[in-house]
Amino acid sequence: MTKRGRASAWLWTLLALLAIVAVGVAACGDDDDDDDGGDDATKGFSEAGYKLAGFKEVTIDSGAAVKIGISSALSGDVKGLGEPIAIAAELAGDGVTIKGHKIEFVREDDLCSPDGGTAAADRLAKAGVVAVVGPICSGATVASQPQYEKAGLTTISPSATAPGNTNPPRSEGPYVTFFRTTFSDAIQGPTQAKFAKEKLNAKTAYIVFDTDAYGTGLRDAFKKAFEDGGGKIVGKPEGFAKKTTDFKSIIANIKKEKPDVVYFSGFYAEATPFLQQLRAEAELKNTPFLTGDGPKNDELLKGAGAAAEGAYFSLPTPSQKGAAFDAFSKKYEAKTKKPAESGTYVAESFDAATVIVKALEKVATDDGGKLKIDLKKLNEAIRDTVLDGASGKIDFANNGDNLGGAETPVSLWQVKDGKFVEIK
Amino acid sequence: MSFWLDQLVNGLTTGSIYALIALGYTMVYGVLQLINFAHGEVFMLGSFAGFGVIVAAGGADVSGPMVALVILLALVAAGAASAASATAIERLAYRPLRNAPRLAPLISAIGVSVFLSHLVDDGFLNGEGRYYPQVFPADTIEIGALTISYLQVFLMASSVAMMLGLSYFIRSTRTGKSIRAVSENRENASLMGIDVNRAIVATFIIGAIMAGFAGVLYGLFYSTIRGSMGFLPGIKAFTAAVLGGIGSIPGAVVGGYCLGLTETVGRELLNEIPGVNLPNEWRDVIAFGLLVVILIFRPTGIFGERVSKRA
Repeated sequence: MTKRGRASAWLWTLLALLAIVAVGVAACGDDDDDDDGGDDATKGFSEAGYKLAGFKEVTIDSGAAVKIGISSALSGDVKGLGEPIAIAAELAGDGVTIKGHKIEFVREDDLCSPDGGTAAADRLAKAGVVAVVGPICSGATVASQPQYEKAGLTTISPSATAPGNTNPPRSEGPYVTFFRTTFSDAIQGPTQAKFAKEKLNAKTAYIVFDTDAYGTGLRDAFKKAFEDGGGKIVGKPEGFAKKTTDFKSIIANIKKEKPDVVYFSGFYAEATPFLQQLRAEAELKNTPFLTGDGPKNDELLKGAGAAAEGAYFSLPTPSQKGAAFDAFSKKYEAKTKKPAESGTYVAESFDAATVIVKALEKVATDDGGKLKIDLKKLNEAIRDTVLDGASGKIDFANNGDNLGGAETPVSLWQVKDGKFVEIK
Repeated sequence: MSFWLDQLVNGLTTGSIYALIALGYTMVYGVLQLINFAHGEVFMLGSFAGFGVIVAAGGADVSGPMVALVILLALVAAGAASAASATAIERLAYRPLRNAPRLAPLISAIGVSVFLSHLVDDGFLNGEGRYYPQVFPADTIEIGALTISYLQVFLMASSVAMMLGLSYFIRSTRTGKSIRAVSENRENASLMGIDVNRAIVATFIIGAIMAGFAGVLYGLFYSTIRGSMGFLPGIKAFTAAVLGGIGSIPGAVVGGYCLGLTETVGRELLNEIPGVNLPNEWRDVIAFGLLVVILIFRPTGIFGERVSKRA
C-alpha cells in the first residue's frame, strides 16, 4: 500500500511538472509571428537610432593596418557557404591601402548560430576592427545586432536575408549599424511563390523549415505570398532543428498530403538527407522540390548526388552580370580555382567589403602618420555609397536594405546533370 | 491507411537500429554492471569505417552486383573498426578501473564518449558532416497499401538476422557460455577456470560488432554522419535497454522496437486528437515521457526479473 501510494504520488508530481513544462514551451513556442514586415524598404530610422549607436573615433598607429572584421561560418555545417564568402571579402582588400595603411581582415567563426554570432561580435570588437562583413546568417545577425550597435561597428551582411533583420521588433526602429548587399526574403519568398504557381503549376504546397530566424522568416514570406496567390498550404508546416537527419516521419506526412510542390527553407546540411529520403519514396520521386538560397551550394550536389537532380532553387542575386562581376570573377577564380558562379553570395561579399573600403578612403584622415577614423562618419559614408558592384547595383535604403537596380533581384536555378543551371 | 503503415515501417526501421545498439549496452551491463556510455561512439566509428570503404570503392558510382559486395565489405570493416575501438576502450579506460568504486568507470565512460565524438567532429571534420553515398538501389516493393523500400527490408532483415545469430552465440557456443557464467558470478566463473578478462573482452567485441553494423545501416538510411552522431542514438539505445530491462538480451530488442515505434507513431496518434498539433521535435518528448511512466510502474523494465542475472 505504501509503496503504491508513493509511486502514484511521484506520478502526480511528474504529471504536474510536465504540465508546467508544456505550458512554458507553448508560451515561448510561437515567437516567430512578428517578422513578416519589412516590405517598405524605405521605412526609416530616426535620428534617435544614431544616438543608440556607440560610435567612437578610432586611431590607428603609424605602420599598423586598418582592420576589417569578417563574421562567417568557418566551421560546421554552413562552412560550405561561409568559407567562400570570407575569401571573397578578403579579395576586396588586395593591394589597397588607406593613406599608407594596409588593410587586414580579421576572420571570426560565427558558426551560423546565435551564440556564435554574439561571441564573434565580442571578439571582433576586442580585435579593434572598424567595420564588419557579415554575419552571414540571419540567426547570428539577429543575436549580434544589439552588440554591434553598442560598439558602433557597422556591419554589412552579404547573405542574411530574413525580413526581420532590417525590421527588428523594437520601438527604436532598425539598427543604424546594419546593412546588407543581398535582398530580403520579403522579396525572395514571393518570387518563389510566383514561380511555384506559374511555372510549376502548383496549387498545393507542403512546407518544411529550419526553426531558426532564416528558416522561419523565409517560410512566412513564401506562405503568405503562396496563399495570397490562391495556393493552399497542405498539412502542417513541419519544423526541424539543425543537424536533424531523420526526416522519414515528416516525409510520411508529405506522402499523405500529396502536395504539388515540396517547399524547404533551411540549409544544405539538412536539405541533403531530406532530399535523399524524399526521393527514396516512389510516390514523391517526381514531386517538384523548391527551396531558397541556403541549400544552393556545391556541398549539396556532392552529398545528395542523384537525389538533387531536378530540384529548384531561388537566390536573391540578380541574374544580369556586368563588367564588375567579370573583374571580380577573374580574381576569385585565380584565388580559389573555382568559378565565381559556383560560390553563393561571393559577389555580394566582395561588394560588402568594397563598400567598406571605399567609405574608409573617404573618411579616414591622416594625423602625422597615424590614421583617424570616425566610426559615425564611416557609417554615414557607407549609407551614402552607391556602387555598381559585382552582384549588381548597391544602394542602401535607410533601414539597411539594398534597393538594388534590377526589377526582380532574385534568380531561379535548377539542378541539371549534377550542375546548377539558371532558369531564364 | 498507408500513412499508418508507412509510419509503422519507419518506427520499425529506427527501432532496429536502436535494438542493435542496445544489445551492446545490455550485454556489457550484464557482465560488468557498467553503463558503457562510449558505446554510441563505437557505433559512430563503425559508421565512418563503412563510409570509408564505400567511398574508396567509388561511392555512388558503384552499381549492379558490386553493390552487394561493397555493402558486405563496409559491414565487415565497420564491425572490425568498432570491435577494435571497443577493445581499446575496454583495455585503456575500463580495465584499470575494474575494482575501483562504481562511479569511476562510469565517469571514465562519459569521458571517452565526449573525447571521441569531439575528436572526430572538431579534430578531423571541422564540425562538418559527411554524407553516405547512396549506393543502395532506391526501388520499393508494394504489398497492398504498404510501400517499403529494399533498404528498409534489408535493414530490418539484417538486424533480425544479427540478433538471432547473437542469441544462438550466447546460448550455444563456448565463448557465449563463458560470458553467461561471468555475468552470473565473476568470482565463481574464474574459480571454474574461465578466463574472465577474455569473456569480458568478447562481450565488448560482440556488442561493438552489432553497433558497427548499425552504424553502416544508419548511414545508408539517414545519409548524414558526423562525430556527434552516436550521442542521441546512444542515449536512446541505452533507454531502450533500460526499458526492456537492462541485462536482458530480448529486453534490449523489444525495448528498441518499442522506443522506435513510440517515437514515430506516438506523435501521429496524439495529432489525431482534434486541436492537438505537435511539431516533429515532440517525438523525443513523447518517447522519453513514456519511458518515465513505464519505469514508475515497472522500475526493472519490461523483462525486469532478469536484471543482471543473465546476459
